[in-house]
Amino acid sequence: MRPRMTIHFGSFASARSVVGGTIHELAQKHDNVWGLAADTGGSLAAFRAEFPDRFIDVGVAEQNLAGIAAGLALEGNIPFITGMIPFMVMRACEQNRTDIAYQDLPVRLIGTGGGLTSGGGSTHNAMEDIAIMKSMVNMTVLSIGDPNMIRDILILSMEYPHPMFIRLAQGKQDRILYEPGEFEYEIGKGLTPHEGKDATIISHGEMVFESIEAANALEEEGISVRVIDMYSIKPLDKDLVLKAVKETGNILVLEDHLMEGGLASTIADFFVDEGVYPKKFKRLGIPQVYAGFGSGPEQRKKYGYDKDAAIAAVKEMLK
Amino acid sequence: MADQKEVRRLKDLACDMRKKLLYLCGTYEGVVHIGGDLSMTDLLIGLFHYGMNVDPSDLQSPTRDRFILSKGHGAVCMYIAMALRGFFDYDDILEKYGKLDSPYGMHVCKVYLPGAECSTGSLGHGLAVSVGMALSARQKKQSHRVFCMMGDGETCEGSVWEAANTAASYNLGNLTGVVDKNSQLMSSYADDPMSYENYADRWRAFNWNAVEIDGHDMNQIVDALDNLPPVTSEKPTVIIANTIKGKGVSFMEKVIGWHAGALSTEDMEKAIAEVEAACAAERSAA
Repeated sequence: MRPRMTIHFGSFASARSVVGGTIHELAQKHDNVWGLAADTGGSLAAFRAEFPDRFIDVGVAEQNLAGIAAGLALEGNIPFITGMIPFMVMRACEQNRTDIAYQDLPVRLIGTGGGLTSGGGSTHNAMEDIAIMKSMVNMTVLSIGDPNMIRDILILSMEYPHPMFIRLAQGKQDRILYEPGEFEYEIGKGLTPHEGKDATIISHGEMVFESIEAANALEEEGISVRVIDMYSIKPLDKDLVLKAVKETGNILVLEDHLMEGGLASTIADFFVDEGVYPKKFKRLGIPQVYAGFGSGPEQRKKYGYDKDAAIAAVKEMLK
Repeated sequence: MADQKEVRRLKDLACDMRKKLLYLCGTYEGVVHIGGDLSMTDLLIGLFHYGMNVDPSDLQSPTRDRFILSKGHGAVCMYIAMALRGFFDYDDILEKYGKLDSPYGMHVCKVYLPGAECSTGSLGHGLAVSVGMALSARQKKQSHRVFCMMGDGETCEGSVWEAANTAASYNLGNLTGVVDKNSQLMSSYADDPMSYENYADRWRAFNWNAVEIDGHDMNQIVDALDNLPPVTSEKPTVIIANTIKGKGVSFMEKVIGWHAGALSTEDMEKAIAEVEAACAAERSAA
């Protein structure tokens, strides 16, 4: 079993800074790496200083940026778009689908503010993004909470010839979950940061932190809960899900996304398609509501999908 | 002044192309976007047979000029213009157009059609993609041009103006927009309800060079292409080509219903005869 706590676990780092630094590093090695922003390129400042001819800021024009990224990719470049999820995903939705996904171009869309972490209210909340992006043929959808993980993912994305949407959590203050090098990441795979046998919480992004905290608390009460970080939502790590059903029976999906259309829906689809029926299956996430203001943790509490809600849900499943 | 022998050759190609378009429209079982095809026929002949550096035997040549058909519903017009240039076979287009697994669909699909630069069909997308291609060319110090053919109707899309803004901001003199200004949308005439007043000035206000021509006058098309500012210049250029939707067929010209349609055999023969007569009259007058 992995150590319960490390010197890093639970402390904060900025995923955005890691993204900016990694794209810069990649650009030094690969002359086809571009950094793109729609007035959201702060983390790319060092990249821009060294490679001004491969940095594009179009101002507040997200759909334009997605089209430009497609044009760059058609010419053999790998454009990394950084921005805030709702505008990157929804304002540019058709360009993402028709210019990028339809042509299967290696554009990377890296968005901050996953779920209700932005604090900006419903205009800035990202609660539909996974539903929208995973519905696009050819599009790979990842959700990453740990700020170090994003570095490894961006490096391995250089060998990946398809479009990719990477959802980050808040982006500035992100929970460190794993030691650098602790896990090897792969598109289409999940990982198991906490072992258990009575139930499994499957989660992604920042919610993995809440899931591990819930599992730790439950362990003290003698309940053994497995936690899966399903950072690859599409393609889904079906084997890992199947194993969890076989070995733990009960499945709880905990996510900072609308309960309908997110990871829970992907897993429910998988269960139905494969004829796999867990003992019990429950999902916690954002209900059908336009949430207001407040921090991520405050809202998760309010809408019933935080650590405490997960603990209660697991206990209920085990009754 | 355009080389008159060359203009003659291009005019003859355009005559041939109109007939081929109409024949396809009359023999294909579904509808064809014939109105807007006929309005940009002369422009596409000018581009593929004169203005653009393209080579049907080397589709991936890095030095080729790039062509994006932003008005993707004019796909068949592009297929035939390219077929006449040696990219495709016209009979193959006739046989396969719109059929299951065909490379020649109603809208351009790069996945199915090698030789197409970009899949299009949703309006207002092509200019931003073209800007991306032009930015890449600039960064790689390549000397080809990027051409983007738009309809005037699609310039209602805000995304066109976002891209126009970026193109001028990044000094993309290697980018040329061509607007097939046939003054009709699918269901309305330009200026009612949407205003197209001061159209060229709108582009100029975005810091583009705007050149207005008669899009059915091959001399003017050739002149506009000859006089494009150097690739290394700092301003993108738009050629605003005033055209007539359905050009060449009296019962189609400026008729809203002919945005897209199917031709009966009788009407097809009538239309082709009209085009032939007009071409013959033009040749004898010249």
